[in-house]
This record gives sequence, C-alpha cells and structure tokens, in this order.
Amino acid sequence: MVTSTGAVAPAGRRPGGAVRSMVRGLVGNQQFMLLIALAALVAYFTARAPVFLSNGELANILTDFCSLILLGIGETYVIASGGIDLSVGSATSLSGVVGAFAMRSLLGSHQGEALVLFVGTLVCVSIGLAIGLTNAALINWARLVPFVATLAMLGGAAGLAIVISNGEPIGLDPRAISLTTAKLGPFSYPSLVVIAIVAACWLSLHLTRYGRYTFAIGSNEFAARAAGIDVRRHVTSVYALSGALAGLAGMFVYMRLGSGAPTAGLNDELQAIAAVVIGGASLYGGVARMSGTVLGTLIITTVTSGLIISNVQANWDQVAVALLIAAAAAMQALRPARRA
Amino acid sequence: MSAVGDAVLYEAVGVSKSYGSVEALLDVDFKLHSGEVVGLVGDNGAGKSTLVKVLSGVHPPDSGKLVLEGVERHWASPHEALAAEIETLYQDAGLAPHLSIGANVFLGREILRPGILGRLGFMAQRQMDRAALHELAQVGIEIQGSRKTVAELSGGQRQAVAIGRAVAWARKVLLLDEPTNHLGARQALEVLEVIRKARDRGLGVVFISHTLPHVLQVCDRIVVLRLGRVVRDAPTSEFDAESLLGTITGLLEAS
Repeated sequence: MVTSTGAVAPAGRRPGGAVRSMVRGLVGNQQFMLLIALAALVAYFTARAPVFLSNGELANILTDFCSLILLGIGETYVIASGGIDLSVGSATSLSGVVGAFAMRSLLGSHQGEALVLFVGTLVCVSIGLAIGLTNAALINWARLVPFVATLAMLGGAAGLAIVISNGEPIGLDPRAISLTTAKLGPFSYPSLVVIAIVAACWLSLHLTRYGRYTFAIGSNEFAARAAGIDVRRHVTSVYALSGALAGLAGMFVYMRLGSGAPTAGLNDELQAIAAVVIGGASLYGGVARMSGTVLGTLIITTVTSGLIISNVQANWDQVAVALLIAAAAAMQALRPARRA
Repeated sequence: MSAVGDAVLYEAVGVSKSYGSVEALLDVDFKLHSGEVVGLVGDNGAGKSTLVKVLSGVHPPDSGKLVLEGVERHWASPHEALAAEIETLYQDAGLAPHLSIGANVFLGREILRPGILGRLGFMAQRQMDRAALHELAQVGIEIQGSRKTVAELSGGQRQAVAIGRAVAWARKVLLLDEPTNHLGARQALEVLEVIRKARDRGLGVVFISHTLPHVLQVCDRIVVLRLGRVVRDAPTSEFDAESLLGTITGLLEAS
C-alpha cells in the first residue's frame, strides 16, 4: 500500500467551530467578496446620484454588460487554457463595421427587419470567427505566443476597420436605429441571447469534457497532450469561440449605436481581461470561473456607468478599471498559496 | 508471472533522434517482452527520457522503426500510442496541478453521463471521483478525497497519483520515467511492489531510474545508455551495484 503521507482521515469537525469556519469560508470565497464589492459599489453610486438605480440607467448598464460579457466569456476560456486574447476589442469593431455594410445594403433594398438582424448577426459572427481562427493559426502553426499573435491581430483588425470604413461610422440610418429597439416581450434581443450564452458557457466550462480539456491545457499543456488530448484542435476552438463571441458583441454594439463604428470596441479587450481576472482567473492558466467573470463584468460596467452618472470626467473610467485590475491581481497574490 | 515468451511485445529498431545538433539517440535497439521489467539506466543526457518519448509517441524518431506486437507503428501523437495501450508516466510532467485527483486520473478518458447530457459532453464527475479512488486503491495507492486538486498534494502524493493512473490504465506496455522520484524510502519500495504486480499481470514495463538499487531490485533485464547509444543490454543477474555503475559511467568499458 502506498499510503500517502499527510493524507490523514478527515478530522471530525469541532462543535462550535462551525460558525467561525463558515465566516472564514465566506471571507475566503472570492465569489462572495465580489458580490459584497458589487453591492457596495451600487450603494455608493446610488448615494452619489440616486438616478443610478432608475430603470433607464439600469437598462444602460445592462446594455453595456451584454456586449462586455460576451468578450469576457470568450476571454475566460482563453485564459483558462493558458492563453490571452488581446484582439477581442478590435474584432468587435471590425465585425460591427462589416456587419453594418451588409445591413446597410439590405436596408437599402427594403428587406424586413428580422432578415436584416439575422444576416447582420451572421456576418458579424463570421468576421469574429475568422479573426479567432487567424489567431489560432498564428499560435498553432506560426508558433507565436498568444500575447504576440493576438496583439498583431488587435492592430490588424482595428486598422482594417478604419480603412474599410474610412474612419466613419457606417450605416447611421433611422431604420438602423429602429433595429436597436428589437424586443421579445420585455427582453431586448441581445439580453435574451446573452442569458442563453452565459448559461450554456457556464455549464460547458465547468461540467463538460470541453471545459475540462480547456483547464487541463492551461494547467499543464504537456500533461494534456500526453493524456491524448488534441491540444492544437482544442486551442483553435477556444480562440474561434472567443472571436465568434466578439463578433456577436460587434452586432450588439451596432444595435446600441445604430451604426458600425470603427472604434466601437477600442480598449474593450482590457475591460474583458479585467473582468476575468477580477472574477478570480489566473493569467497563468488553469484557473477561471464563469460566475466570477459575470460578477467581474457587472462590477466593471457598474463602475464605468457610475462614474459617468456621478459626472466624473469620462476618461477616469480607464483609470478606475486599471485600479480594479490591480486590486484583483493583488487579491490573487495574497490568497493562500495553492500553486503547483 | 505470465509467460515470458520469445515474442517481443514492443521494440525499437535502429532508432535515432536528434534535437538540432544534439544527437540524443543513436541507432538504438530496444526490446520489451510481456511480463518483463526492463531497467533503462544511464547518466544525465544519456537519452533515457528521449527514448521514452519516442516509445510513447511524443516525438517521432528521425530514423529507425517502432514495432508493437510484430507490426510496425508510426505514432503521430501520444494519443495514438495510448490507444494502442502504451501507457506512460513522464518525469515530473504527467499531472495537471489545478485539476482534482479524479480529473487527473480520468484525463483524456472522461466518463460521460448517460443519455442526451453525455452526448453534449457532460461528465459523470462523482462516478469518476469514486472510480479514481478505487483504481488507485487497486494498484495499492491510498489517497483520501479525490476532489482535492493535485496542487494541494505533497510531492510524494502527486507521484503516487501519477503512478497509480499509469498503472491503472496500462494494458500492454507501461513506461515509467523516474517513478520513484520525490518518494521517501518506504514509499519507493511500495512503488517497486506496484511495478512487480503490474509485471505479474503480464505487462511489459520499462523502468527508468537513477536509483540503482531500485533498478537491481525490480528489473529482469537492464539496458544501459550512454551518450545516446546502448552500451549494454543484459539480464539483471549479470550486474551488481558496482559493475552497473561502472557501465553507466563508462569506467568499466575497457574490461
């Protein structure tokens, strides 16, 4: 018998220690701390500007949330797999612009709204997917590290968006604006799609074999390959997913603005990465939580909206996001070591 | 012990492998029979780990061939070698530290849930956790709580899980690269016992170690590599501690 040293039988819980251990468990639980932080932020901004809790403002936050969470979900998979995707913001911009061209020509030929939305979504997702596949090709076959591959794509896609749009928003058209109010019952079309995607990806990341392989690759790529996992194929699918979701975010941004702006996704990759890191993911791979990403995204959208409402000069929100990243990273570093 | 027939289970014939200008293996012949433990020894850089990686499908050989049960094979990936029932414990690299013990034991072999959920890729995690402890116990490794992550285990426990996984899944060939690393003296002896049991199940086992007493204790035959070449391939009975060391370092070459 190889009785592993140190693995003693589970010790009986001391009576009375239950409450204390529960409190300690909650404080040590990052998800719980994130919820507290979120509640505190909402309370703070509401105190500064009561309009923060109005329906209109909450709807604004929700709209911001819908596009950012898509980037965050893709980024969660990528970061869990030990990579990083810097191109998602540019992918949002480029797909929004290309999608806007497609939708403008459809609107020009007086197609129905549903068809325009459908085709627009399809075009945006395809562009995002193409960007994701290009990232994967650069990583798997050109052997670039993810940071460099997706940094190149960040520049390339952002530049392309400006070139083909001449730097102007595409499709600012009253009929395009009417698309932005598309609703099914009380829910906007984006929020329904987002709910479905969050739920599906949550389950997929934490309960399916696909998610397991994602974590395994991020944790120890060699072990994953040795266990028979097709690492290249999996990594390809992860960047493809991230790209496709960024493409969808491009469609959502189009629906918010009524046009495809070549700078629509500028710096969004930083917010998405911040959301994932705030949510407890490790940039070294192997650790990430979809619930954390959702909470992290809520915190970031709350902060950025809250600052606007409190009449803080708009550019401060980048500083605030930077502080959030630093705080989240520090929290990670200070947590009890659970490293390999 | 199952019959050690003359039939070779797994064989490398004239295998060479170089990394850039470094020739890691030069025209190596290596044979493994069922129900046999072959020790693979040599100094650092002798090519032991490279040979294991060629045998396990991680690296294709530059020249030479691999023959499994009389059929020449070309592994495009470790996956193909695994599918052909060649199981490998890699030195210090076999586990994903962030995953649980259960997840590691079943990595690449996940049990899916029955029905539509399984089709969607949902895993039967509880079943795997339970089976993992059972599989580890079967090969003589007791660990409490398979939901712990591997990062939470001590070095010895990790090594035990890695060995347990390899032994539990092995059906034909078992390649063990430094399995007694990180282990205390008593645990190492237990691992040797696990290896003997695996041999008695009819597996062909390749045992790499720097700890020569372990090699002499458990192996039926010893292959000595030096600078990428096989310099000796003989039954263990032809070696003692001194002559084995001498062969490894090359000091005995003249005699």
